[in-house]
Amino acid sequence: MNPEKESCLVEVLDRLLNKGAVLNADLIISVAGIPLIGVTLKAMIAGMETMLEYGIMEDWDKSSRELYARAETHLPLFPGEQILYKAFGYLREEEGLIKCWVPGIWNITSHRVILWIKTPGKVLFETPLENLRVLRVPASHEVRKELELIYPHGSARISLSDRNEFEEALAGAAEAMVVVRNHLVITSG
Amino acid sequence: MVESQNMVKEARYLYSVARTGHMARLGSIGIQENNVYTVPYKDIAAIVHACEAKPYQTEDKKLAEEWVLEHSYVIDQATKMFGTVLPFSFDVIIKGDDDVVKDWLCRDYEHLAGELLRMQGSAEYSIQVYCDYDYLEKMVLAKNQELGDLKNSIEKEPKGKAYLQRRNLDLKLKSLTRSEAGWLADQFCSEIKPLVKELKTAGRTSWTPEKYRGKKLLASYTCRVSKEAVKKLGEVLEEINCKEGFFVRFTGPWAPFSFVCLSGAG
Repeated sequence: MNPEKESCLVEVLDRLLNKGAVLNADLIISVAGIPLIGVTLKAMIAGMETMLEYGIMEDWDKSSRELYARAETHLPLFPGEQILYKAFGYLREEEGLIKCWVPGIWNITSHRVILWIKTPGKVLFETPLENLRVLRVPASHEVRKELELIYPHGSARISLSDRNEFEEALAGAAEAMVVVRNHLVITSG
Repeated sequence: MVESQNMVKEARYLYSVARTGHMARLGSIGIQENNVYTVPYKDIAAIVHACEAKPYQTEDKKLAEEWVLEHSYVIDQATKMFGTVLPFSFDVIIKGDDDVVKDWLCRDYEHLAGELLRMQGSAEYSIQVYCDYDYLEKMVLAKNQELGDLKNSIEKEPKGKAYLQRRNLDLKLKSLTRSEAGWLADQFCSEIKPLVKELKTAGRTSWTPEKYRGKKLLASYTCRVSKEAVKKLGEVLEEINCKEGFFVRFTGPWAPFSFVCLSGAG
């Protein structure tokens, strides 16, 4: 078969905005030392949410801060539910044949473990704290620290930079939940 | 350069670096019909247009896309004229005039000339292998005696037990299909690798061409291939494409966007 020169716009944009050579900041136009390599265009075309989500454009300029504020969403919680812990991390996703790590913010609340993506505001994963177990698993990547969340109907592979902190927070949340439940049982009894 | 940022008015929009020692005009093919020309130093040259010292910005998405396509067009034209070029990312603008560009080429000559030599006679291609997941599953089921037996026995079981066994079968089948897919992807990769100079596994894109909708992406590669090897690579890909349940998308040639390495340059 012969290669086709046909390429769709998405691919051309990806190639030109995300690949290709760049130069050091001292030679090219920059503001406060930050190279202006089509930042605004990249943001607009390549997906504003990605750049905002990873803080690429945070504190960049007034307009992007405003945009960030507009784009900010809040994790929907149940009445009485509280966020106890938040950390950036990943979820292993195996969709069909493709395996990848999906980034987001891990939240441990008084009721659930949730992977939340701020922009556009989406819950990527959630499971109740009840009957949740967590296992340390060998890393599939040398710098990545991985954990397995085991819940009644399945399991999920996750990754955080500080898994001790996550495990502690999870243990704390589970303990608090038991205390609350006992309290409810006692008072209702 | 001692001039402060605010004082720099002139700038050069950089498209690529090519192997030519001559001054040449490529015409008004640049972004917003700017005149594109070469700034040579020794046997290499930067392909630029003169612009103001500010980045290209717009709120108009259509216009932005137009600029990116214009940038891409200049790189294609430069490749036709000078052979493989070192393509630059969109909106790389050098502060200063042609002399500043020349200074940069002079300072970085070894690196740029070396990189041009490394890229010479090759181009970037992308390869995606898609598969029909149902077909792959059928193939796995046909090959695996144990799963075949389990499937047959389910028919005879009472409703409740049959449900559990079907779930069990589904899980096993999915897992085996996944390993089979992984094995096949490795297999294809090992057939492609000897024919290319460099190979990178490309990330998953959110976009699937119409022709391949509903199929699963099994593998996606970006490779740098020498002119002579393209035909052979095409033959190998055709063999994969002819296998039942598999579909290959082979596109290119492009300038070596994914392989040009100028870290430390500038």
